Parts: sequence; C-alpha cells; structure tokens
Amino acid sequence: MTDWNAMSDAEFRKEVRGFFEAEYPEDLRNLPHRPKFAEIEHWHRKLHAKGWVAPAWPAEYGGMGLNASKLLIFYEEQQRWGVNRGRDMGVQMVGPLVIKFGTQEQKDYWLPRILSCDDIWCQGYSEPGAGSDLANLRTRAETDGDDFVINGQKIWTTMAHDATHIFMLVRTDPATPKKQQGISFLLAPMDQPGVEVRTITTLSGETEFCEVFFDDARTPRANLVGELNKGWTMAKALLSFERIFIGAPNLAQNALGQLESFARGRGAFEDPVFRDRFAQAALDVEDHAALYSRFADQLKRGETLGADVSMLKIWVTECFQRITELMIEAAGPDGGTVGPLQVGNVNVDVLASFYKARPTTIYGGSNEIQRNILSKAVLGLPG
Amino acid sequence: MNQTDMQPSDQQDLRMLRESARTLFERAGGSERSRKLRDAGGGWDADMIREMAEAGIFGVTVPEENGGLGMGLAAGGVIAEEVGRVIAPEPVVVTVGLSLGLLRRLCPEHAMMEQLVGGATVLAAAWQERGPNGGPAEPSCRYADGKLTGSKAWVAGAGGARGFLVVAEGDAGPVLVLAEAGADGLSVEERRQADGSAMGELSFSGTPAEELASGGAVRDALAEAVNDATALAAAELVGLSERAFEITLDYIKTREQFDKPIGSFQVIQHRAVDLNVMCEVAQSGVREALGLMDRETDPKARARLASRAKARAVTAAKKITRDAIQLHGAVGYTDEFEIALYLNRALVLSAWLGDDAHHRRLWFEAREEEGAGQ
Repeated sequence: MTDWNAMSDAEFRKEVRGFFEAEYPEDLRNLPHRPKFAEIEHWHRKLHAKGWVAPAWPAEYGGMGLNASKLLIFYEEQQRWGVNRGRDMGVQMVGPLVIKFGTQEQKDYWLPRILSCDDIWCQGYSEPGAGSDLANLRTRAETDGDDFVINGQKIWTTMAHDATHIFMLVRTDPATPKKQQGISFLLAPMDQPGVEVRTITTLSGETEFCEVFFDDARTPRANLVGELNKGWTMAKALLSFERIFIGAPNLAQNALGQLESFARGRGAFEDPVFRDRFAQAALDVEDHAALYSRFADQLKRGETLGADVSMLKIWVTECFQRITELMIEAAGPDGGTVGPLQVGNVNVDVLASFYKARPTTIYGGSNEIQRNILSKAVLGLPG
Repeated sequence: MNQTDMQPSDQQDLRMLRESARTLFERAGGSERSRKLRDAGGGWDADMIREMAEAGIFGVTVPEENGGLGMGLAAGGVIAEEVGRVIAPEPVVVTVGLSLGLLRRLCPEHAMMEQLVGGATVLAAAWQERGPNGGPAEPSCRYADGKLTGSKAWVAGAGGARGFLVVAEGDAGPVLVLAEAGADGLSVEERRQADGSAMGELSFSGTPAEELASGGAVRDALAEAVNDATALAAAELVGLSERAFEITLDYIKTREQFDKPIGSFQVIQHRAVDLNVMCEVAQSGVREALGLMDRETDPKARARLASRAKARAVTAAKKITRDAIQLHGAVGYTDEFEIALYLNRALVLSAWLGDDAHHRRLWFEAREEEGAGQ
C-alpha cells in the first residue's frame, strides 16, 4: 500500500496529474452535464483498479487515506484536467457517514459496494417544505417488525433516476420539543414498489433533479446509521470538510476562460465598457483565488476551518453568475440561442454556462443562509 | 504561487513587523492622534517620524548594506496596512515607495538615503504634470545648466518636505534632480485634500537643483518606484478598510433602535457580511500581489500586479467607507465620529496614483501586452 502522505506535494501532484492525463478519456473531459453511471463506467473501473475511487477514506477501508493537503491537490488536479467526479455521493457522503457512525457489519457490507459502484447513491435531504429550513422535514419512518416503513416525499434529489440506493434524513419521532431532534439517518433501496421517482425538468431543459415519493416503502432496521433520532447532528458533522470545495475557484475560472475566448472571437474587447467589466470579473476571480489559498493553507497546516470559509462560496458563485451574464452580453443577438455558438475555432455554449451558474447560489446552503451564518458565527451579530 | 509560498520564517518576520508597527501607532494615540494633527493644520509629527525610523519603517525595503531592513515590498505592505488602520499622516508610502524607491535604484550611495531611512529628513517626489485642461499631461519641465524650469503637480507630502526629487527633461533624456524647499525660483502651492493633507503644485523658474542621475535608468527607476508606491498605497487602503469595517461592526452591535441593536436586523447583517467579504478578498488579493511583486523582475508584470492591487483596494475601500457612513446613519455624516476620518482619507488615497477604473484599464492593457508577447 502506497503511503501517499509521505510523498512531497510536488511528487504527489505529478503522480496524480500523470495518471489523469494518461488514462482519463478525452471525450469525457469537462462534461457539460452530470453523466449517468453507464456513460462513465469505463473510467470508474480504471479508478477502481487503481484504488483511487475514495481519496479521502482511510486506507483500511479501501481509500487512499489522503490528508487534507494531499486531498486538496487531488481535487485540484481533477478539476484542472476536467475529470468528472463520477457518481460520487456514495464516496463523498455515505462512506464517511458509515465509517464515522456505522456498525462493523454496515462497514463490511456497504463500503466495498460503494467502491465498486455496485450501489449508486443519491441524497434524500430536501423536501418541498424543507429547503433552507431543512430541519422542517416531514418524511416519516416508523418501525414495523424488522423494518422501517417510510412515507413522504423528497425533492431536488440529484440523479435519483440513476441510483440504486438513497441515504436520507427521516423523522422518526414526531413529538420532540425541537424540530432538529427526532431525525434519523436511514439507508434505503430504491428498487421497490413503494418508491417512485419522477424527474424534474429544469428551466434549462435538463432532468438531473428528481422528486422521490415514498408510499409504505421499506428498509430493514439494520439500515439505520448511528443512533435513532441523532441524524441531525451527524448530518452537520459530515459537512465540515466539504465547505471549502463548494467555494473553490474552478467553476468561475473555467467560465472566465470561456468568456475570454468567446469575447475575443466576437470582437467584444473593442468596446471599452466591456473591457472594464471583463477586467472587473477577471480580478474578482484572481483575488478570490488568493483568498481560497489562504483557507487551503489553513487545511494544509492541519488546522480546522472556521465558519468564515462560507465567504468563499458567496464570492465565487456570485462572480460566476456575473461572468455568465457577460457571456450573454458578448453574444449580442445570439444571447437567447440554445446550444454551442461557433466563434473562430472555439465552441462556446453561452446559455449552458448561464444555466449552470444559476443554482450555485441556491444549493449547498443558499447564499442568504451563508450570510446568516457569517453574520452570527463570524461577526458575532445578535438575534 | 501565492503569499504562502513564503517560508514560515518570512511569515514569522512579517508577523513581528506587524506587531511592532501596530504597537507603535496604537501607543502614539491611534486615529485620535491623526485627528489632532489634521486639526492642527494637516502636517505630521517630527518625533513620530523619528520613532518610526528607529523601528526601521522607512528602510523596510532598502537593502541592509544601505542601512535598511532589506525585507521587500510584502513587508512594506505590512507597514502600510498598519498606517492605514490608524490613518497616520506621516508620509510612509511617499518615502518608502517613491523617494527611497528612486534613490535606492539610482544612487544608493547618496547621503540622502541615510537621512531618509533615519527619519532625519523627508523628501517629496515630483514627476507628474498638469496639462491645460487640468488633467495629467506629458512632462515638459526642463533641467539645464543646473537649473529647473517648468511645473509639477500632485506632489504628495509637499507641505512638510525639506526637498523635492524632481524628474525633469535634460539635454540627454530624463534626469533626476534634488531641489531644496525654499530654493530660488521655487513656489509651492498647496491644494488641500479631503483628509486635511495637501498636494503640492510646484513651479520652477531657474531653480537650482543637484543632478542625481540621468538617462533611461531614470525612466525605468521612476516606473518601478511608482509601481511600488501604487502597491503600497493599495496596502494602506486595505488596512484603512479593515479598521473602518471594525468600527462599523462595533457601532451596529451597540446602536439601538426599535429596542434592539440595529445589527440584529437581517438587512444590516447581510450588508455587514458583504463588507467583511469584500475586506477579506482585498486583503488576500493585495497581499498576494505584493508578494508576487517581490519575486517578479519583469517591470511590465510588476506594473500589472501593482494595478491589480490598487484596483482591488480602491474598489473595496470605496464600498466599505461609503457603506460605513450609511450604517452609522446620521452620525456618520458628522466630523465628530471616527468613521468620517476614514472616508476622507480613503478619498485621497483612492485618487492618488490612480483609482480603480484607471488601474483596471492599465491591468487589462498590461495583460494584453504580456499575452501578445508570449
């Protein structure tokens, strides 16, 4: 077993970069949509054979066991080469959950199946009445013999129509004084009569999001992870490390690169007003990257990130949106045209970028929620 | 590359430098001292200049063999940030960036170096000129036979300076000369600035001056000194913005309306967060730019980085000082409250050496040139 953490950062980066550049299929680079598993299965098999499916998991569970510093490099290289994350809900969420809170039986059963992608996971958190106010969730799970019986509805479940299992927050005690209590973490199979999936067509015409309806669906009691009614605390514990990634510079940087080649091709830089707005956006991206390095360095020194990391997400997502607006502006009368626009020898899908930027200020804790967090936890404002 | 590519020992040095500068300024009286100096007519404090010199502040970027600390622009930025936090009127950026920036590049052996580093004297640098329409113009001030003829404008620190480093046109290209304050044929008109300081408008008619350097090297050294000063002014604005935000945050936590601190209202909270984020982005961006300038030798790339820093710092300072007034409400519009001093200083520092729009333009042009050259 290789001890990746013993390598120098530069050596490790070279190793990761070399593998991606040599092995990642060219036609899957920078995929504009979320792929179904079948589309990336071939790549997944390569990663699995290499033992690189779960970079953050400890080696004893089949992960790479990377420390924060190496993990950051791994993701940076993944983004640099436009390597698709794959169907990684299992790796990112279920694995850490089971490793931290699961029983030995649960670890032995679920973890290898995540690595091999025998199981493909989706996340059942949000509900129609539980978005930013997630603790308001109402999907019920009641015990019945050796099973839980689940009734209710989840929504915004990404790629549920291509998942075999769902990990979900459910209400197991409806009579608690605080709504954060009485919530539990359950794992459930999707392929059963009581589960119905309907795709939601987004305003861009994509169908990545789904609604999932539970009508007396069942899952064995053995699929409860952690203690009954302690799901809320567990869900919060899972989020700590992910918060820097949601504020990473790559989405805005890629969009800026596209904007530049598109605007150049279209001659938009001849307009001094456009030049200034481009310069603003480019400097916004550059200075965000400087702030991002500050947080990344904290991680590399082994420090825990504070609530202030939320500012990365606020800045970069709003910046991403401004860049996509500039793309539309540069497109002029083509600003409403669907599909790639040919400029010289580059193709830029202006509207795809625009649509991609919209949910970034909503998901992962809307930017308004992030501002609430910063105002209380960082600035110490009352109320 | 970023600021944290520095060795831990460098980081440690910068931390110590910051602490000693902060202690010095706080002990001297913080922004209250600056207010008193402004009320007394807008000069600076000679004793403070000496204390700052003893702390190594003016020689921070001067090589050790010339009596400085030899620490580079990132360290200069640390000091400028601390100056900005207390809006100290002493001419730190003028001395470190411009005067010593010119002298250490062109005549490091000149006796004036030691005097500037030691706080024994203060010079002002005069290189810009005003055209007939009031805006900046191509230089036409002449130096011949040991005498200056013409005019210079936007000379920061002109009021208290013992002499002027003037960039003029000589018979064989540009020259750097030193004219003493009070020399024959020199008149200095002081134009009052929002923060109580003054910008000098100099006019020379056969004013005697000592030639320090000549030729293309003067043009290059001037460009580099202006890059340094621009970046340092950006750092000063970062410190100013940071402190203006802290003052505002304290205010919204304590000011009560509708029986609650106004900082408990969500609309105020979100605005405060936006200022905080703006402040942090500016701090990281400007510090990174200065760190990169220390490692960069290509003047075009250094100019681009200086523009990046100033564009960001002015954008942030504008937003933060204006919103700070709004969040203070009516008292924000009074001279009595501390925040007013920060707004007025920000106005001056933003306009001096180019504002955000100006530097975005320069940044874009530099980027295009570099791109075309690759």
